[in-house]
Amino acid sequence: MKKFKRRLSLTLRGSQTIDESLSELAEQMTIEENSSKDNEPIVKNGRPPTSHSMHSFLHQYTGSFKKPPLRRPHSVIGGSLGSFMAMPRNGSRLDIVHENLKMGSDGESDQASGTSSDEVQSPTGVCLRNRIHRRISMEDLNKRLSLPADIRIPDGYLEKLQINSPPFDQPMSRRSRRASLSEIGFGKMETYIKLEKLGEGTYATVYKGRSKLTENLVALKEIRLEHEEGAPCTAIREVSLLKDLKHANIVTLHDIVHTDKSLTLVFEYLDKDLKQYMDDCGNIMSMHNVKLFLYQILRGLAYCHRRKVLHRDLKPQNLLINEKGELKLADFGLARAKSVPTKTYSNEVVTLWYRPPDVLLGSSEYSTQIDMWGVGCIFFEMASGRPLFPGSTVEDELHLIFRLLGTPSQETWPGVSSNDEFKNYNFPKYKPQPLINHAPRLDSEGIELITKFLQYESKKRVSAEEAMKHVYFRSLGPRIHTLPESVSIFSLKEIQLQKDPGFRNSSYPETGHGKNRRQSMLF
Amino acid sequence: MVTPCPTSLVSPAARAGKRDNDQNLRAPVKKSRRPRLRREQPLQPLNPCPLLGDSGVCDLFESPSSGSDGADSPAASAALRCSPLPAPAQQLVQLDLQTFRDYGQSCYVFRKARESHFHPRESLARQPQVTAESRCKLLSWLIPVHRQFDLSFESLCLTVNTLDRFLTTTPVAADCFQLLGVTSLLIACKQVEVHPPRVKQLLALCCGAFSRQQLCNLECIVLHKLHFSLGAPTISFFLEHFTHARVEAGQAEVSEALEAQALARGVAELSLADYAFTRYTPSLLAICCLALADRMLQLPRQVDLRLGGHPEAALQDCLGKLRLLVAINETSLTHMLPFQIREKCSLSPKLK
Repeated sequence: MKKFKRRLSLTLRGSQTIDESLSELAEQMTIEENSSKDNEPIVKNGRPPTSHSMHSFLHQYTGSFKKPPLRRPHSVIGGSLGSFMAMPRNGSRLDIVHENLKMGSDGESDQASGTSSDEVQSPTGVCLRNRIHRRISMEDLNKRLSLPADIRIPDGYLEKLQINSPPFDQPMSRRSRRASLSEIGFGKMETYIKLEKLGEGTYATVYKGRSKLTENLVALKEIRLEHEEGAPCTAIREVSLLKDLKHANIVTLHDIVHTDKSLTLVFEYLDKDLKQYMDDCGNIMSMHNVKLFLYQILRGLAYCHRRKVLHRDLKPQNLLINEKGELKLADFGLARAKSVPTKTYSNEVVTLWYRPPDVLLGSSEYSTQIDMWGVGCIFFEMASGRPLFPGSTVEDELHLIFRLLGTPSQETWPGVSSNDEFKNYNFPKYKPQPLINHAPRLDSEGIELITKFLQYESKKRVSAEEAMKHVYFRSLGPRIHTLPESVSIFSLKEIQLQKDPGFRNSSYPETGHGKNRRQSMLF
Repeated sequence: MVTPCPTSLVSPAARAGKRDNDQNLRAPVKKSRRPRLRREQPLQPLNPCPLLGDSGVCDLFESPSSGSDGADSPAASAALRCSPLPAPAQQLVQLDLQTFRDYGQSCYVFRKARESHFHPRESLARQPQVTAESRCKLLSWLIPVHRQFDLSFESLCLTVNTLDRFLTTTPVAADCFQLLGVTSLLIACKQVEVHPPRVKQLLALCCGAFSRQQLCNLECIVLHKLHFSLGAPTISFFLEHFTHARVEAGQAEVSEALEAQALARGVAELSLADYAFTRYTPSLLAICCLALADRMLQLPRQVDLRLGGHPEAALQDCLGKLRLLVAINETSLTHMLPFQIREKCSLSPKLK
């Protein structure tokens, strides 16, 4: 065995570049004798069997080049109960040969460390075997291990996995259900027809499409998975979050088609986003509709916040609207990041207009109130027909905010005077202006509500849950508060969309803005 | 079921010697690689390392290794050397009671209800090669790795959940178990971290044993097998929830509650590495870790064990096992804790 170890150590030294300084913990591949699952695919890294004489288990850095600090010895993290309890009654463990080893990491010390690992092996040390194991040959392994190494996943590999492998929780029933679902057509790209491209970015392309199953329109967000860093964070966040969010005011994720090179998210299709909606009615919305839209934003947001999901990128482009007037939150890609980036991966600038001043001043606080500032900005924009703080840089944005709401002081925003960024900007001391002058169409109740959103101190901002109970919404009647989550507010007959005063019923704006559609979906 | 795990109790006597040899003999040989790897890790705020590492990867781990303690096994030595920095790793974060009042309870109810859906059961039962021992070794390595990258405890919990759930779906060969570990870490970080580690950094940590393509392939397979269901409720979440709850109810001072939380997090980290604890749900582990932490800190008012609505028998079972775990891993726990907490707690709640 010792000889074998030595050989391994030499092999490794020769073949690896980074880790001359690293010891390798090699472990003999073992397998339980009675395990006979040759037909199941095993994930393996797929290195050609000849490259190393042994499969290494953990390549552990030994940290051995440091001066010995005067510190008490540590024991193993996760020293386990099992071994603790097994030891006293199992003396034979002490005799088991240790096949693990640490190797010398450089020429000079090789001899010595090799010796030490044999000589000083603690007698009470670790036993890697507690049952009889047999060694398995390479042929056994090759039969068993099926994931190819440096080549790409073969076409159809994932589809095959999906059908062949039982999911973890309920092996049989889920498996068969899955199979039947895929027979119907879920999870398959053939089920969807691409109609037209709605937009394209570095990470994703969005198409309008149609499902052959239901004949419904869908939005197909195709995310390329082949990147340096693997699957994009935004895709992982968006899918894992949206799978859990089922609500009438959150865009529904119908299906996920995962192929080897791309991931396609199949969403319900909504005609417009709020930006287009406002454009189409000449930026003069009916104040009743403003109320309905605001209520729906809050309703969707309260649902997210109850699940500790923050949207973090609320803006009119992320609020989708269908012809019934149902509004749904979309684009959850940024939702769990702790700080909002100013640029996407594709280097597009993320709008600052709806971002709260605490975040602009560098706060990375992770709380639901982050979203509420943006709600205030959107509320204002719907009511007045123009964006509230259309800043182009962080400084510009802050400047616009302070000019309207007053430059904050230690009294109006405790802690701000010690914020270095705030001090560095050295803004003029503006006095707050009455909001009513800028949004004359808003009634006093609306003004009161918007003021609650636009609080400097994030903890003073009203929560989505509370805001829904505000007197501003009283005219919508009481029943709206007791609707089940999945039911649209338009299922109540007292809730109806009104005709917007500025609405132009033509396709004219469509051409003007078509190019920018769904920009926000492209990360 | 209690799992046999290789990292058995270490007798102090047996430890002596070995490290002397390999430490001292190897120490002078290696040149510093640190600057090079530094450059590759621009995003990562490195923990202040009291000892300058001589090798690139070495600044991943505080090296507590000393001439007087000997490693009894590779796993042990890895953990010894990988032990985290004691000081800044776990900061006492401020409580956000406002958000807790608004949404704390509904959020808790939601996650508690989803807990069993995400709970991997007997993840190793069908694994031909991966054993409880190798899982323990892998996690004993991943824990200091996560700390070095300055990742949140939430990320670590999600990593372990992803790993275990994937293990229930797919037999994994021993030689790519480490790859699965770093892949799970990457997926977890992509969900919750502002700056997830770079693939390149993760590959370097594995000493170049795996290629970028292999990691990306495995990532793809993991996502696929888990159907992108990745947002498991974690011990981290429940620890925070229970901490907020006891402060909000006036059952503990903020400072006490935060200290108990930090200590409980250390205990919870230990439990993540031990397969025996995978049978407990995160909320159960969280409340038991907090209860144990309270006892170790000798807080006057201890957390109400029934806060999570778990059956009494399960609570006592879990608490007993945790107590044993802490006793076994006393020293490594000491070094995982922030200084001020290490000072305060009595780390030897003797087995009763």
